Amino acid sequence: MDLKKLREAVWEIPRRGGMVVPGRVYGAGELLESAREDQAMKQVVNVAHLPGIVTASMAMPDIHWGYGFPIGGVAATEVGEGGVVSPGGVGFDICCGVRLLGSGFSQGEFEAHREAVMGELDQRIPRGLGKGAIARRGLLNEVLERGAAAAVDAGYGSEPDLERCEESGTSAGSNPGAISSRAIERGGGQLGSLGAGNHFLEVQVVDSIWDAEAAEVYGLTEGMICVMIHCGSRGLGHQTCTDQLKLMG
Amino acid sequence: MSYRVIAHTADTGIEASGTTIEELFVNAARGMFSLMYEPADITMEPLPVRATGATVEDLLVDWLSELLFVSESKEVAFSRFAVLDLSHGTLSGEASGVPYGSARLSGPPIKAVTYHQLELAETDEGWHARVIFDV
Repeated sequence: MDLKKLREAVWEIPRRGGMVVPGRVYGAGELLESAREDQAMKQVVNVAHLPGIVTASMAMPDIHWGYGFPIGGVAATEVGEGGVVSPGGVGFDICCGVRLLGSGFSQGEFEAHREAVMGELDQRIPRGLGKGAIARRGLLNEVLERGAAAAVDAGYGSEPDLERCEESGTSAGSNPGAISSRAIERGGGQLGSLGAGNHFLEVQVVDSIWDAEAAEVYGLTEGMICVMIHCGSRGLGHQTCTDQLKLMG
Repeated sequence: MSYRVIAHTADTGIEASGTTIEELFVNAARGMFSLMYEPADITMEPLPVRATGATVEDLLVDWLSELLFVSESKEVAFSRFAVLDLSHGTLSGEASGVPYGSARLSGPPIKAVTYHQLELAETDEGWHARVIFDV
C-alpha cells in the first residue's frame, strides 16, 4: 500500500474510493514494515469508510491486524453527520488500557525485599477467572457515575492519581442507569480485579532513558522500579458492548 | 469433532459444522468453550439458555453470547450443550459443565462474540459457520 510521507514518522493513506477521510499512520522502521505485512493498513482504510468519521482514520505505531479496526486504530465520529458511538470498534473491553506506576524505589532497594513484595502482590491482586472484587458491591454504582474519583474517596487511590488520568478519571455526563442489569450481573463482582487473558500486572525496572525531558515529566529515572498494569472493564464492559451491539443491530 | 480453531493475530475463532442447524449450534458452542477450558466430567445440572435473533446469523451470535453471559455470571465452565428448540428466531437450549474452581484452562477467556467475518451457510453436508471471538 502506498504511503505518502507527511513528516518524520507520520504517513498518509490518501483518500480513494469510498474513503470519507484519509488514513494517518504514525510509525517508522520495523514497526511500519510489520504493519504493512499483516494487512493492518487495509483495516485502516476500511475504518476510513465509516459514516461520520472525522479528520482521519488513525493508526498508532504498534498497529496490527484486529477485527474491524486494526488493534491500535483510532477514529472519531460526528454523530450529527451519521456517525455513531461504536460499542466495540477495537474490542469489547471499554477503556482497556495500560498504566505505569512509578515506585520511586531503585532496583537495589526492591531486590532487598523482592520476595516479600512479590508475595504480597500475589496475595492482594485478584486475577484469573471469576469475580475477585476487592471493593464493596455498593461502590460499583458510584464508580459507574464518578469513575476513579469514587475509588479515591473509598481509599483505593489518592488525589494526585486523578491528575494523571484523562478527564480526571471521570467521563462527564455518564449515566449508570443505561448499563443493563445483565452487565451488572456479569461483571458486578469483579471491581478492582485484574482479570485474565492478556491482562497483567508486571514489576519492571527502567532500563535506560531515551527522552530525558519526558522522563523528568513522568518522574522516571534509570533503575527505578515501576509496575505496569494492563486491565479493562471485564464482564461489565464486555456485556455492555454486547448489549449495545444487539440494540444497534 | 465438528469444529476447528482458526488462527487470528489478535483474537481467535472457530469453524463449526453440523448435519442439522441444531447440531451446528451445539458444535459452535463446544468449539467456543474448548478455546477456554479443557474437557471435564460434568458435575452440575444443566442451566437454561435462551437466545433470539432476526436472522439465523444473529441467532448464532446471540446463542454464543448468552452462553458467555451465563457462564461468567454463574461461574460455570460449560462443556456440554443441547438445543431443545430452534424456531421462529428463538432458541431454547441448555448447557452444563463444572464450577470455575474445578475448571482447567486451555486458553484466555473469551470476552465476546463478534460479527467480524461471520459466516453461516447451508451446504451439501448440512450447515457450516465461522465465528471470530474477542479475547
